This record gives sequence, C-alpha cells and structure tokens, in this order.
Amino acid sequence: MNRRTFLKTAGVGSVSVAAGCTSQPEKTIYALVQAPDDTVTGKALWYASTCRECPAGCGVLARSREGRVVKVEGNPLHPINQGRLCMRGQAALQAIYHPERLDTPQLKENGEWRALSWPAAEGLLQEKTRAAAGAGAGRVRVLTEVIGESLTALFGEALDQWQSPPPLVFEPFAYEALKTANRMAFGVDGLVSYHLDQADLLVCLGADFLETWLSPVEYARQFKAMHALQANRKGFFAHIAPCQSLTAANADLWLACHPASEGAVALGLIRKALESGRGQSLPAPLRVSLTTASAPYTPEKVAHLADIPADAFDRLAARLLAAKAPLVLGTATAGSGAADVAANLAANLLNRVLDPELTRIDFAHRHRVETAAPRAEVLDFFKRLSPDTTDVLLLNNVNPVFALPGAGIAEGLGQPGLFVVSTSNFMDETTLLADLVLPVRMPLEGWDEYGGKRALISGLQPAMGSLTAAPGLGDVILRAAFGADPPFPDYQGYLQARLSAQGIVDGERQWVEFLQRGGRFDLPAAPARAPLPAEVPIAFEPVPVAAASLVLVAAPSIRFFDGRGANRPWLCEIPDPLTKVAWQTPLLAHPDTLASHALRHADVVAVRSAHGTLEAPVYETVGVRPGVLAMAIGQGHSAYGRYAQDEGVNPLGLLPPEADAVSGGPVFAAGDVLLTPTGRQMPLAHTDGSRIQHGRKIALTTPLQAAAHDDAHPPKAGLTMADFPLTLPLPEGYDPKRDAYPPHDHADYRWSMVVDLDRCIGCGACSAACYAENNIGVVGAQRILEGREMAWLRIERYLDPQDERKVIFLPMMCQHCDNAPCEAVCPVYAPHHSKEGLNNQIYNRCIGTRFCSQNCPYKVRRFNWFTWQWPRPLNLQLNPDVTARSKGVMEKCSFCIQRIKAAHGTAKNENRGIRDGEIQPACLQTCPTGALSFGNLMDSQSRVRQMVMDRRAYQVMGYLNTKPAVIYLRKVVQEI
Amino acid sequence: MSELTYATIDQTILQTLEKPRPGYWLIVAVLAGGILLGAACWLYQIFVGIGVGGQNNPVAWGIYLVNFVFWVGIAHSGTLISAILHLFRAGWRNPIARAAETMTVFAVLTAGLFPFVHLGRVWAVYYMLPYPNQRTLWPNFQSPLMFDVVAISTYLTVSSLFWYTGMLPDLATVRDRATGLRKKIFTLISLGWTGKHEQWRHYTRGYLFFAALATPLVISVHSVVSWDFALGVVPGWHTTIFAPYFVAGAIHSGLAMVLTLMIPLRRIFNYEKIITVAVLENVAKTIILTGMIVGFAYATEFFIAWYSFNTIEIEVFRYRMFGDYRVGFWIMVVCNTLIPLLFFSKKIRTSIGWLFGLSLLINVGMWFERFVIIITSVARDFIPHAWGLYAPTAIEFGIMIGSFCLFFFLFLLFVKHLPSVSMAEIKETLHEGAPHAG
Repeated sequence: MNRRTFLKTAGVGSVSVAAGCTSQPEKTIYALVQAPDDTVTGKALWYASTCRECPAGCGVLARSREGRVVKVEGNPLHPINQGRLCMRGQAALQAIYHPERLDTPQLKENGEWRALSWPAAEGLLQEKTRAAAGAGAGRVRVLTEVIGESLTALFGEALDQWQSPPPLVFEPFAYEALKTANRMAFGVDGLVSYHLDQADLLVCLGADFLETWLSPVEYARQFKAMHALQANRKGFFAHIAPCQSLTAANADLWLACHPASEGAVALGLIRKALESGRGQSLPAPLRVSLTTASAPYTPEKVAHLADIPADAFDRLAARLLAAKAPLVLGTATAGSGAADVAANLAANLLNRVLDPELTRIDFAHRHRVETAAPRAEVLDFFKRLSPDTTDVLLLNNVNPVFALPGAGIAEGLGQPGLFVVSTSNFMDETTLLADLVLPVRMPLEGWDEYGGKRALISGLQPAMGSLTAAPGLGDVILRAAFGADPPFPDYQGYLQARLSAQGIVDGERQWVEFLQRGGRFDLPAAPARAPLPAEVPIAFEPVPVAAASLVLVAAPSIRFFDGRGANRPWLCEIPDPLTKVAWQTPLLAHPDTLASHALRHADVVAVRSAHGTLEAPVYETVGVRPGVLAMAIGQGHSAYGRYAQDEGVNPLGLLPPEADAVSGGPVFAAGDVLLTPTGRQMPLAHTDGSRIQHGRKIALTTPLQAAAHDDAHPPKAGLTMADFPLTLPLPEGYDPKRDAYPPHDHADYRWSMVVDLDRCIGCGACSAACYAENNIGVVGAQRILEGREMAWLRIERYLDPQDERKVIFLPMMCQHCDNAPCEAVCPVYAPHHSKEGLNNQIYNRCIGTRFCSQNCPYKVRRFNWFTWQWPRPLNLQLNPDVTARSKGVMEKCSFCIQRIKAAHGTAKNENRGIRDGEIQPACLQTCPTGALSFGNLMDSQSRVRQMVMDRRAYQVMGYLNTKPAVIYLRKVVQEI
Repeated sequence: MSELTYATIDQTILQTLEKPRPGYWLIVAVLAGGILLGAACWLYQIFVGIGVGGQNNPVAWGIYLVNFVFWVGIAHSGTLISAILHLFRAGWRNPIARAAETMTVFAVLTAGLFPFVHLGRVWAVYYMLPYPNQRTLWPNFQSPLMFDVVAISTYLTVSSLFWYTGMLPDLATVRDRATGLRKKIFTLISLGWTGKHEQWRHYTRGYLFFAALATPLVISVHSVVSWDFALGVVPGWHTTIFAPYFVAGAIHSGLAMVLTLMIPLRRIFNYEKIITVAVLENVAKTIILTGMIVGFAYATEFFIAWYSFNTIEIEVFRYRMFGDYRVGFWIMVVCNTLIPLLFFSKKIRTSIGWLFGLSLLINVGMWFERFVIIITSVARDFIPHAWGLYAPTAIEFGIMIGSFCLFFFLFLLFVKHLPSVSMAEIKETLHEGAPHAG
C-alpha cells in the first residue's frame, strides 16, 4: 500500500469513526487505535504544503494524526514565512472541517438545490463546456482567484480546447495603484518585494504590511528585524495615514494625515531631499520633473494639506535624510484611487531619490498577486457578461457578489442561458447564484503548486484523507477539457511532468525532496533588473483642503482578509487587535466626530453614502482622524454559513463601484458620508475591560536612551509596585524576610517564557495557534458579551492615557507562578505545581469552585460555563494530545505541556536532556516576529536565562510576590 | 412578667401547637412551591452548566456565595443569643432563645446548600473529603474552602445538638399533654425525660457546656468564612479586618432577622406577655452596637485604602462608592450604619412597626454588603484588561428564592410542631430576684 492509499484509508477510517459518534464527539477524538502499517497510532505525520488563505503563499507543515490534519504550522524551510504563520493560516483548518462545507455537488433546478453525484456533476460540466466550445469561440470563461503557474497553465490549455481566452484572475485586493506606480517609476509591470530588514528607517504611507499587505508574515518578520532593539539600536518607523491600523499602532510616529494627502507628504519629503542635495545621480529629465512637481510642496503647504503638525514633518524629513538605509512604502492594501496612485508613485520616486540603486527593493522576487487583473477589467468583464457571448462561466474560489456590491454582479450571474459553475465548498453569496456547484478539494487535501513570489515554487500535497469525495480542481479541468483522452491521468501527473519539464524537479528523488521540503526555493532568479526609467510622467493634483464632509474608509481586516475568513469561528472569536471587538463590525469614529453628531460610544448609527447605507455601532477612538470613519472589510455576509451570515456589517456597499481611471483599481473610501443616529444602542462584544492601565505595572515601556545606556543608579529594591525587584521563580528569587514558604524543589527543568514587548506587534497569531493546539471552545458573540471567552492567551491592548494614540500590546497567558495564588486556594489540588515548575490544571480533579480564578491576579483562568460544542466535522480538528474539557472545569494555558511531554519522550529515547529551544509551545512556534521565547531557567546557558538578565526584564504585577515564570521585556519607545 | 404563672406559660406556648388554620397550610404550600422552584433551577444548572447564571470572567463568584455568607451570618446571631447571652446570664434573652437557636440551625442548613449549588461539578464534591483512595490524594487543607467545610459542619453539629438538648424538657412537657401519634413521636424524641432533679442538673450542666462550646464558634465560624475572601489576594478582600468585620456584620444581620421572625411570631401566637417589647428593645439596642461596629469597619477600610497610597486599593474603594455598583454600596451604608442609629430613639425602638420595618431594611443592607464585597472587588482587580461586570440571572434568583423559601418553610413547620419558646427557661426567669434553693 503506498502512502497515498494509506492516507485515503486512514482518512476515511477516522472520518467514519468520528461520524459514528452521537452527542459528544469529543469523547472519541482518538481514532484508529489499530493503525495501518507504516504509521504508529499517536505519532503525527507532518506534510509540507502551502497556505492558500491569501496570495502571500506561506509554506506550511500540516500535522496529520491518524489521517486527518489537526494543526497547521509554518514551514521553517520556506523563505517567505520561515516557519511562522498568521492567524488566517492557523484557521485554514476550520474551512476544511466546516460544518457547512458542501459534501455533494449541487444543481439548481427551478430555484431549488438538488444534490448530484460527483460523476454526474463532472459529466454535466463536460457536456456544457463541450457544447459551448462547439457553439463558437470564447464561450467558456473562467474567473479565478490567484492560482499557481501550473494550474494557470492547465486552465490555459483547457480554455484553448474550448477556444476561449485565458482565465481572468480576480482578487478584491489587486494593488492596482501600486502596480501603476511601479510601472511608472520603475518600469516594472508588477509588484516588487522589499527588504524591510535591511532598512534603518521605514516610512510608510499607509501600507498595512503587518496585516494584509502583500506578504504580512514575511514583512512582519522583516520589520521586527529592523525595528526591535538590537545592540542598543532600533530602526525607526513612521506611518502616515488617516487611520491607525495595526501597522500604524506599531509605528514610532503616526501622522494622522488627511485622507488622500499621503502623496502630498511624500512630495514634501522629495522636495526636502532634493533641496538637501540628494538625487544627483538620478537621470536629469527625472530630476528636473521631480523638482518641478515637488516645488509647491513646502513644509507649510504639506502641513496644511495633510493637516499634520509642521514640526513633526520637519523632524521626519531630517531623520529621513540622516538615515543610512531608508525605505519608503506606499499606501494600504485597500486603496487604489487616484490619490493612491499619486502616493505610491511619490513613494517610489522618493525611494529613487534617497537610494538610486534601490538596494532594498527586490525586483527578482515579485509577489504573485501581481497576476490579479485590475478591478476595471473585472468590472468590464461582468458588464459584458451575457448569454449571447458566453455559455459557461466557471468561478473558482471567488466571491464577487460580496466584494463588488453595486456592480450588478448578481444580475449578471442570474441571466438565463448563462450556465454558472462554482467550485466553492461553501454556499457564499456568489455560489448561491450559480447553476452548478462542483466543490473541489481544499488546499490541504490535494495536489498543486503555488509560488508566492517569483524564483520559488511551493508545493501542495494531500496531507489528510479527503473529507468529502470531492475531486481536485486540476483533475476536474483535465477531465472536462480532455474527456476520454487526457494527456495525463490526473493533475498530479500533470504537475509532476510540468515541473520536470521546467527542470525544477529532475527524477523521483528530487520529486520526493520537493514534497518533503515543501517546494524549491532556490530557482534561478530573473537576470538583473532592467534600467529604471529616465523620465517619469508626474502629474499630481493638489489635495483639496478638507471639506466638512465625512469620509468612510474601508480597510481589510487581519482576521477576515477580503471576507473569506468570516466563516471561520476562530477568526470571528479572536477580537480585532485594536478595538478588541469580536464577532461585530463597529464603525470607528473620533470623539470630535461623535460629539458633533451628538453620538456616544456604542450608539447605533446609520451611515449613508451616495452608493448605499448601513447601520453599525460606533466605537469611539482617537485611532482615526476627526472627520474620518473607519470600518473593517470582511463581515456582513448574507450567506456563507452560520458563523458568517448576518454577523457584522459590510462597508463595501457604500464605496463607489467604479474603478479609478488611472489605476483601474477601486477606491476604498467614500466621501460626503452622512451619519444619522438611530436612537438605538448595541452592546459591543469587546474583550477588554479597560483601555488603559490605570497606573499599574503591566505593560511597561522604556525610552531608547535608557535602554541603550547603563543605569547609573539602579532603583533600590523595595516592596511597592514600583520598586519590587525581579524575583525569578527559582530559589534565588526567595528571600526569607519576604517569603513565608521555602522555594520549590524543581527537578532538572524550570520552564519559563520570556515575552519581548518590543517585538510583539499584537497580530494575534499566537492566540489562534493556541485555540488550534489546545481544543479551546469558541463561545460566540453573546457569550463574549457575558464575559465568557475562552482564550488561554490573549493580547491585551493598552493605550497611553496621556496620548491614546500610543498603543502597547501585551500577550497575557498563565504566568506559571512559583508562588501561585491559585494553588493555595483550591480545595482539591486541581491546580498543581509540577516538579518542573508548571502550574498544571488537572481537569479530572477540578470540581469547579472557581476560587482559583478569583484568586488569580492575572485573570488568565477560564472556566467552562457550558460544554462547548464542535459541530461536526469541526471536532475532527481537535488535537488528540489534549483533553477536551467538559462543563464545570477550569482550564488555562499549560505551556503546551503535551509538547513538553513529547520532548521528554524523545530526549529519553535518545538518552539525553532536552535541548534549549527544542520545545516550542504553539504560540511561540507561530509568532511571526519571534516575540516569545521558552526554555529552562535552571540551565544557565539557555536563551531565556540570558534574556531575564536583560535590564528591560520585569514581571507583571511582580510586587504581589507571585514570582511569575513569564518574564516580560519592556517595549523600547523612541520619539522622532 | 408578674402576671405569668407556670400554668399560663405552658398554656400560651402549648396552644401554638394546636391544629393550624387553613391559611397556615396555604403559606406552607407556597413556600414548598418556592423550594421546588429552587430545586428545579438547580437541576437545570447541573444539567446545562454554571453558565445559566451570570458569573463570568472576572466575576466567577456570584450571588450563590453572597447568599452563603448571608445565611451563615444570620445563623451566628442565634448562637449569640442562645449561647453567649446565656453565659452572661442575660435573662431577657430567654423568651427568644429557642427561636433564635432554631433560626441558627435552619440558617446553617440553608447556607450549607450554597457551596454545593455554586460548584461546577457538584457530582465530584466528595473529592473534598479525605477518603482513602488509590492515588493517595488528599484534599488541600491550606484552602479556605476546606476550612469552611470543617467550620460549617462543626457549627451545624454543635448548633443542632445544642438546640435539641435544650429542647428536651419542653419536648417532655408536650409529650405529657399530647395524645395519639403526637404522643408517640414526642415520647421518642424527649428521650425519657422525667424531670427528676438529677436530670435537671445534667441538663443545666450540659446546656452550659454547649453554650460554652458554641460561643467560640460564633467568632470562629464567620471568621473562617471571611477568610474565604481575606486569604485571597484580591484587593478589597485581602485585609485583616475581615474576621471581626464579618462577625460583627453577621451578628448585626442575625439580630435583625430575629426581629423579623419574632415580631410576627409574637403577634400570631399571642406571645406578647412573654416576648415583651422590652426584649425586642434589648435586641434593638444590641443592633445599635453591631451597626456601629460595622460602620467603623467600613470607615477603617476606606481610611486604610486612602492611607495606603496603593493605587489598586484606592481604585477598588473608589469603584465601590462611585462605580457601576454604587447603588448597592449606598444601600449597604445607609441600611447598615445609618438606619440602626434610629434605634437611639426610644419611641422607635419600642414601636413594633418600626422595629419590623427597620429589621427588614437592615437585612437588605447586609445582603448588599456581601454583594458589594464579593462582586465589586473582583469586577475590578489587578489587570484592567480583564475588568468586567456581573448581573445575576433568573436561575440564580430562582435558587435564591428557593433558599429563602426553604428557611421559612422549615421555620414555619417548626413553630407549629415544636415549642417555639423555651418554657423551661421562661419559668426560670419568673424566679429571678426571688430567693431559690440550690
């Protein structure tokens, strides 16, 4: 039996076991006690694949237990994400195991859905496409998300068979303005990538590179490589945008500029740079036109147009010119209007002025999302869509009805005579309008390849048995186009042959290596870039001075991306990083805006633009400019399953439906917006009890100067909150004058975690990984309102009460205190101090008095108020190494004790101790910036032991003498 | 008192054991219905989960614990009256001692339900007992909840025995007058009391020893209950004043409950000559004292919070006064410290209507005191991100109503089936001042 057959059997086996259970599926999450040959029950198999939750294309390792994947982690060998994964990647599993995932094809007859068999559905598709091909040229059209080269090639060949044009690639976020600017300024028709880690100064005109922009996991890592404190130095990051995205919240300087004025700011910086003599090596025509175009943008004019403090702008310019390796990034993912083209162009040109060689811009490894068609093309496609010219429209994993409201997509799809086929696994808004739904295998179930950047190729392989009998998309296309005599028996063969032909994989051995490693990352890059254009047509329109009208800005969400993540319960449950609101979509507004409309926080307002209306609760924050309203994109679905339908609000309907003339891209902002109170209130399901720290020693910062220099007079140790010393959870942290009880007698290990607040960006990936690894229940909006969210690890977000635009993020999990208040008060020893220093919560022993959670000063303990449900087949995602808890039992972070135990087992088998860094709790494993470290405090050579010696080290609420084993390093702040 | 004779005492009290009016059974039925409601709510909670209440993170303890402390507190006053005042030879307590001790027993019983009700996995509660098991697991005696188990069970045992032993002569009196089934039952439970001199000697000696045994329990049991909170690290709980503060508060609320029970009792059973206004007046005077102690405790807490300069402590107390639960706080302060000062007026403390009304208010205030202490401290403790609010739900109220119904149900059954005033002790007081032998 080869491995593939085993996987199929194992998958079917475990599925049938889980499907056979009745009311409490979690009781038998351990399947296949008698495993087939080739596997050991209880031992995971790891398969390399690629994440397809966004076009970035991070490499993943899928942990497969008894034939089903229970966890997805980053592939350490993959150059894009280097072993890390964002929360969307972690939540990909919930799509595969979604309770509303279609398990049979569906055919619409007389407005009703009828289940169809797989052969019948494929036969129908063949029949329709053949008929269309026979009826003329161009009658079969394909609209698809960004796909890899091989699948694109296959589509091309199939469409050739059908005498139709190549597929149209549709992504709601297609970076049209950035592509236009790259074309104009660099002569590159695509999306270059960047080396943020090589910069010492980063200026960003809105690009949310920590959230959704191009390749967030990669850029988060690179960002912190330049921005975190190293050798007493820090890179500087300035963000210029009307709204404080998560990226802006991590900036050292956020200039809340007027919407559409980012270009003016960049031009002002260009003017300063040219004035100070930079740009001499630029081609003369370019230098001249730059000087002319930037001349009007004096600092006073910039300050006026953008409504930013003039001195801040001056200091930024000075800093920019003093930097040795500056890098300027363009505007946000969701921004492609004329102003964005101007801003992106100005950013590109500023880069050319400051660094004519463009050393920090990578032209060889362009981002694959550049293959997405401009919005204008897609809109034009739908405008022309008619049964006269098209018979069959195949939609592959796109949701234009949601993403393009107001463009008449629904009407277009509903035209009689047009046969719409969707390959989606979910009944989303678009698929509801299809005629035939032919679900295909999801990324972890099938074969494919995807190169998120050029010069690398990332493979996808089946990592689990197929949950439904769905065929792979490639197989469907092969059979549909080539019918009885396909050139390859299946898509796997096609793929292998293609990779072989391209010289990427040469022979069986290399193929296996390709699959094991997750791809080939060392493909020859394109030759040196073409020379940069010597002349750039620059035509900037001055930004009109702020009118009194309100502007609504729609921003992609780190949780939902373009809306596809809205049906994953984890993504809904983990709150927005800045508002800490879960499940709902609030409208962010400045206190001045609210005051002028007689509104208060949590009032429900009606928002009206020229194109649509919506109702949403307001969220009062200084994280938007006065006069700007912000709302996240991604929720407000009218279909798409129980977790997405009727949850939240969709702002897309208020945006102008047309595409910008210059870039061909959409504008993600609407002007002249009207706000009307409705008189109603809506309680917001926010997980934060307070936005500020109230003078407590929780999330601390230190200025760069202090961190860089030794303290001449270290503070004298005392007993108050301010001067209580760092008391390590080791015998050395005990002082008989202060501690009534002697220290614990730990064995060889005392586990500890160090959290570097200077590296934490608040993205929440750790929280998602924890949900996935530890079978944590999702409770829903109502329960969050009641205060019952189950997150073991939460990111606390605190604002500086003196200036609420300054944000700090603090990951808070069980501190595994040496002097734990919870251990003393449980009547039955359910929180038990292990000999390795962990505070173990013993579920079977807990009788639910909840004194432990009352006594925990950190409030990290979570009680199971009910028995949380995992609607089948979500229960298949449960990790068999971790108990699923019933109601009445307390739970909390365990430092992933299952991983610690596994490491002990391995070390024992190999007759050695556990090596430093061998254990990676789930949170730490996925953190894109490496903010978390874990290790043995009793090992003087361990990383955590060195890190706790850092002068930035402190313990949250340390003065309570709990001796936490989670040590925090202060965030280092710098002013411009 | 001089109009009373042995005969009139017996007659007045034994009359109460006659066949009750239909109205009595109606009230008992309603109370039984309330108990069933509470039981149904509890069963529902067991099957569905504690989540049917309003508890959450951070406020994981709700009104179940409030009710627990409330009922335990009420119990203490009964023991104060029947045990401590007996040791002090305060004869004025004799008319109310029996009912007060009964109140204690039933209040402890009612209170004892709540630790079970609030457990997440009540079917595993036996883990708290040190029974021999294969894994050699012991319960954690360092936990205040284990102290509670010991304290409450001790208190229940001692109080029940004290109550029963004290009743023996009266049970014999009833036996002597009873007929039929009642005679058989009372023969059994009066344990062969014949009234011989030896038996009286043992009785008074035993009663004295029980009183001496129960006296320290008045202080210790509620101190232990207060340590459920004081031994926690939560700001607003973690303070050494809790033991005396809670004991004083317990006696305060218990005395008020004594008034609430005695006033209708004496009216319905025509006990006016036995439980005179002077007795009630003495209770009211004691309430002034306990109210002032409680007020002093509040003032101390606030003063120390201010004096400490500890930002967290200051915030907790500021939150109590002006935060989300300020209504409960001000009810607490007014009802517990200001209202009892009205008893300084002789007119008020001798007026039955005022006594009854104010006693109800004091108990409302004492309930809110436990609510304020338990809920507000945890709602805002150390980590502002974790702050949250709590509001009880219908299920919690249902169980609370069930507990009140249980207490009054038991009390109502008691007053019609057992002598609610201690005949023997009243007869004792008749001889006060007169020379007597031995």
